[in-house]
Amino acid sequence: VRARAAVSVGHELPELARVVTREDVKAYADAGGDENPLHQDDAFARSAGFPGIIAHGMFTMGHMAAAVVAWAGEPDAVLAISAQFRAPVFMGETIVAGGRVRSVEDRPAIAVVETWVKLERNGRTEWPVKKGEARVRLA
Amino acid sequence: VPSAIVKKLYAATHKAVEDPQTNEAMTKVGAEPLTSTAAEFAALPQIVADRHLDLDFSRVVHGSQTYAFRRALLEGEELAIRARIESIRIRAGNGFVTIAMDLEDPDGVVVCTARSQMIERAAVA
Repeated sequence: VRARAAVSVGHELPELARVVTREDVKAYADAGGDENPLHQDDAFARSAGFPGIIAHGMFTMGHMAAAVVAWAGEPDAVLAISAQFRAPVFMGETIVAGGRVRSVEDRPAIAVVETWVKLERNGRTEWPVKKGEARVRLA
Repeated sequence: VPSAIVKKLYAATHKAVEDPQTNEAMTKVGAEPLTSTAAEFAALPQIVADRHLDLDFSRVVHGSQTYAFRRALLEGEELAIRARIESIRIRAGNGFVTIAMDLEDPDGVVVCTARSQMIERAAVA
């Protein structure tokens, strides 16, 4: 767990990047139990207005959580985590999770971290997760 | 919180965490926040299939998600899910449903509350 004295407002979390593959998304569907065809069947995804299948919002949130856990030091130091899903993630894209300490509470010592997941598409930055937040217990 | 699913989720979502110390810490605790997902999905079909809600799941997308933990979930422990619909509103043909789920241990203590906002997109004319 991260020491309270070592955390200040504005501190940035290390970015965590990952290429999203069809195999990973299928593995996530099987593990999580969300077998919605939007995440497995290209024809279905096209009928819903997308160019192909999209990753689960929860897959992207899981990646964001991994970045927060890596920074927090212990998984159970993450007391709460939330995300707003704003943009779809297509196969082969690279998602990058990041965060910044917004405030620090004392007694108990908790860092409130704003978090996000972004990606580059056609020269533009898209935000699959915008306005994410995590509460992280400090030592 | 089945062990097999915990392992699958590690494989599916934590391959990117290459730091051996972090991996060791996760394994030691045997739990990580999003393993509650599988349990929630066991309950979700009952909710979305509720005829009173009248949702078209083929038009449903996930709008937002929050988790608040009282403690970490432990691999192998049995949790009961108590789900409730917190709010429903319709705006410009899109339906917004917020579903809250309390994960309770065998003593009835809530160990985690998950909230999902599902959006039923307006039907394409």
